[in-house]
Amino acid sequence: SGTQPMLWTIQNLNLQKEAPVDYAGLLSFLQGVEDVVIKELNKNWRSHAFDGYEVNWVDQNETVFCLHSLSCPEAQDQKLQVTSISWNATGSVVACSYGRLDDGDWSTEKSYVCTWNLDRRGLNPKRPDLVVDVPSSVMCLAFHPSQPSLIVGGLYSGEVLIWDTSRIEDPLIWRTGMTDDTHTDPVYQVDWLQDSKHSHHFQILSVSTDGKILVWRTQRDGQLTLVEGFALVAQQIPWSMKLKKRTRGETAVGVTSLSFSCFDPSVFIIGVEGGYSLKCSTAVETAAVPRTGSSVPLKAPAEFAFSPHGGPVYCVSCSPFHRNLFLSGGTDGHVHLHSMLQAQPLISLQLSKKYLFSVRWSPVRPLVFAAATGEGEVQLFDFGKSSQKPAVSVKQASAQTAVYCIEFNFKQPQLLAAGDASGMLKIWQLSSDFIQQGPREMNHLEQLANEVTD
Amino acid sequence: MAEVEETLKRIQAHKGVIGTIVVNAEGIPIRTTLDNSTTVQYAGLLHQLTMKARSTVRDIDPQNDLTFLRIRSKKHEIMVAPDKEYLLIVIQNPCE
Repeated sequence: SGTQPMLWTIQNLNLQKEAPVDYAGLLSFLQGVEDVVIKELNKNWRSHAFDGYEVNWVDQNETVFCLHSLSCPEAQDQKLQVTSISWNATGSVVACSYGRLDDGDWSTEKSYVCTWNLDRRGLNPKRPDLVVDVPSSVMCLAFHPSQPSLIVGGLYSGEVLIWDTSRIEDPLIWRTGMTDDTHTDPVYQVDWLQDSKHSHHFQILSVSTDGKILVWRTQRDGQLTLVEGFALVAQQIPWSMKLKKRTRGETAVGVTSLSFSCFDPSVFIIGVEGGYSLKCSTAVETAAVPRTGSSVPLKAPAEFAFSPHGGPVYCVSCSPFHRNLFLSGGTDGHVHLHSMLQAQPLISLQLSKKYLFSVRWSPVRPLVFAAATGEGEVQLFDFGKSSQKPAVSVKQASAQTAVYCIEFNFKQPQLLAAGDASGMLKIWQLSSDFIQQGPREMNHLEQLANEVTD
Repeated sequence: MAEVEETLKRIQAHKGVIGTIVVNAEGIPIRTTLDNSTTVQYAGLLHQLTMKARSTVRDIDPQNDLTFLRIRSKKHEIMVAPDKEYLLIVIQNPCE
């Protein structure tokens, strides 16, 4: 309180007529109240009477509303879909990639990566702050975890590119190019990995339906080179006796999604086209078979297989609040809540009659997750409220327009971004019950996680 | 005059105090540590509220009278020490 300017004189108050002040009377008043006021100030400073006390003035059930509807005119002209979203390190900038997720064919159609700074005054929802031209559909994006302008993208062609959004002239700074190491199928997910030895260095991870998970490092000449990698092969999947499947030889297992454990950086979960999820480790030594033609030998990372969905798994998400819990979602419209300790899911929920394209745990509410459905909805699920139906169902688009991707803003957790097949990127503001952790929420989560029967 | 300023400085210096305002019987601010527009707003609104609070107390029991008013909001606490001639308003952001 010592930083306030002290304006003690009447003249500073712009009064229409000066109020005469009886100083003797004023002093007498102040001397009379000083003690009681100071006593109350001190008591207040030390008091815990109001700790955790909250008042709800507003009915909070469904005040989820759309803050922005963002689109890119070039992408709209080509009728492209939003394929991926990423928030930057500061939480002010949202980026999305455009492409197609419903085409079965290879596509050389050019596409775009666009960014908007939502905290800027001149925000134009129909004109992104930055539009980057890309020669092939971009399937996935990830902003750097601490450098707000670096963003990596994975392409339909199998390439991985890194852009610096602060460079208006030519933002592309690193690329894998098309080498023997490059993925031979679309890249469905990219991530930044902190180098365990040098914490300010980051490597890039890419995941593809060619069955490979590759780790790249940046080189001075703008080239991304392969450091290490993993390959998933059907005969190396560690099925438990209960789930033994007929192996079809050395078939590659198409990986569609990956999520690292928030508690153990060597543990990750992957979702595959075969309809199941796998617990993997970066600390494996087993070589993958067959020996592929890549410059670095690839390893077989799978340690445990979970029981399958009724169709390909498109998304997996590890809980930020419990080391054993993760979610998986897929084309069967079901979400599975899994514990890493057993093959059968703890809970299986049907959220959609069509596909589920993305599931994400809330970064602040341990019992909450969001799911993007093929029926144009973003569903917010709260295990604390119901284990049967969503707490809130947000209609993003028509029932024929799928929502493909959702991302929570970790710096501003009331914001949830969702991209759909009509090319719209919508920023939803969540009601306050989705932002603050409830008093016994962690206990409830522990209980859920302990329902392991194996 | 100096003693008035000293007293107000002592109050303003307490932990968490954001602002201190003295208002006269007509609701006009005569001392403040905040900017003009904020001061005028607080003075007018709290003068009215204090009068209402006082009449509430006296309507319930004519032998009783208002001695102190505290308003707790999400962001801070407003304290009003009332008197026949003046009001002292102190705004504090208490330690959470």
